[in-house]
Amino acid sequence: MELCLFLGCNTPAIRPDVERAIRATMPVLGIDLVDSDNYVCCPAFGAFPSTDIDSWLATSGWNLSIAEEKGCDFVVQCGSCYSSLRMGREHMMHHADKMARVNELLEPTGRTVTGKSKVRHVSEVLYKEIGPETIAGQVKKSLKGLHGIVQYPCHTLFPSEVVGFEESARAPKGMRQLVEALGATVDSYSRELQCCGGAGGFMKSTPEQAIEFAKTKFDAILDETKADFIAVSCITCLMHMENVQNTLNKRVGEERYKIPVFDYNQLLALCLGFDPKQVASICNVSRDSVLSRI
Amino acid sequence: MDLQQGSIKDLWKAIYNTGDLHHCFNCSTCLSGCPASHGDPPLLVRNLARKVILGLEEELLNDDTPWACVSCSKCEEMCPMDVKPFEMILAIRQWQSANDETRVPPSIVEIYKRGYTQAVGVNTDLRDKLGLPELKTITNNPEQLQFFREMLMKTPVVSANDYMFGG
Repeated sequence: MELCLFLGCNTPAIRPDVERAIRATMPVLGIDLVDSDNYVCCPAFGAFPSTDIDSWLATSGWNLSIAEEKGCDFVVQCGSCYSSLRMGREHMMHHADKMARVNELLEPTGRTVTGKSKVRHVSEVLYKEIGPETIAGQVKKSLKGLHGIVQYPCHTLFPSEVVGFEESARAPKGMRQLVEALGATVDSYSRELQCCGGAGGFMKSTPEQAIEFAKTKFDAILDETKADFIAVSCITCLMHMENVQNTLNKRVGEERYKIPVFDYNQLLALCLGFDPKQVASICNVSRDSVLSRI
Repeated sequence: MDLQQGSIKDLWKAIYNTGDLHHCFNCSTCLSGCPASHGDPPLLVRNLARKVILGLEEELLNDDTPWACVSCSKCEEMCPMDVKPFEMILAIRQWQSANDETRVPPSIVEIYKRGYTQAVGVNTDLRDKLGLPELKTITNNPEQLQFFREMLMKTPVVSANDYMFGG
């Protein structure tokens, strides 16, 4: 199966090792990735979706036209990109006038959009298309003996009727089963479904409160689990859950918060035998405690 | 919420023209699980709905809290009355941006200039080291970037604020 890789901005610019992990692992599992040449910002919710419908949907339409031209669906890792593209497409599919307006704006650029290409999250492709059993069968180096916790990307859960793929957005199972497929034990905890809080303006507008909010999650992880690592599948969760731990350590004056955070495809890549230097080298919280045990 | 100030009866039509908004009965389910509801000042989605319904124009124009939303959309999932609170937050931001140019997010200028909110594809040495291919970005494709800009120039926010975009 062929999918068009929509990278967004943070992954290629700041965490290209995650991009490397996605590009390395998906073909092994039967997914050929096609590049999205000349793609633009998804657009981020804080940008055009916060100014007007035309600029929002025209930008979504520009991107969707790329996948349509390649004749395949998008695969996205970044939660915000995934949700923005899904919602943009949804608006166009349900409102013929909006679709017509987008095509009017796209026409001079030589592009068109029909909605024939869908937008899929990488965790959905892994969970539903490939499946935990197939993944488990490919594992060369297991995470056996390690405990992990999972962070579900909110943008893949809510609103379930637009972005969802789980049977229940209130009791998702995908990330857990995907991590278990790599041999790790996934611990449950009370704040498993609490948002990381890293996207949008919360951290920028009230950082004190945003860090306190994240602290409640990390304290629950430390108190209630034996987590050796955190598995995410969203670039914002990855960066924020690392950065917050460093900020918290400065506050408490000790290295209390030091749980390595991995994008799921990074863990997968390590288990498939890829070089950690290529697929998991960029981090702000040391990963040595996990890497040394794989 | 200052009810003494003048209210505009049909302001909701200008901001979020959906009948569903009027089903909001202030139950506060939208606050459960909302990260930004922990902010200072807190983002109180139910209060925003009330302000829109009541037409409190000045108070809404000066309200920064819609911009603290993290876009997790849990409120959208949980709202029992299908108000679609996240869509409402975006609609309030759009209305603020249209009525107050200082609300226009600077990130859209970055997107106009180079296609993205940040520099994508310039970390070529690092990409090389990781074994990654060169990215064919729009930033490096003058013809496509020009098409993209001309398209955006026809949209309300860019045409109304063209001075921000160097033309």
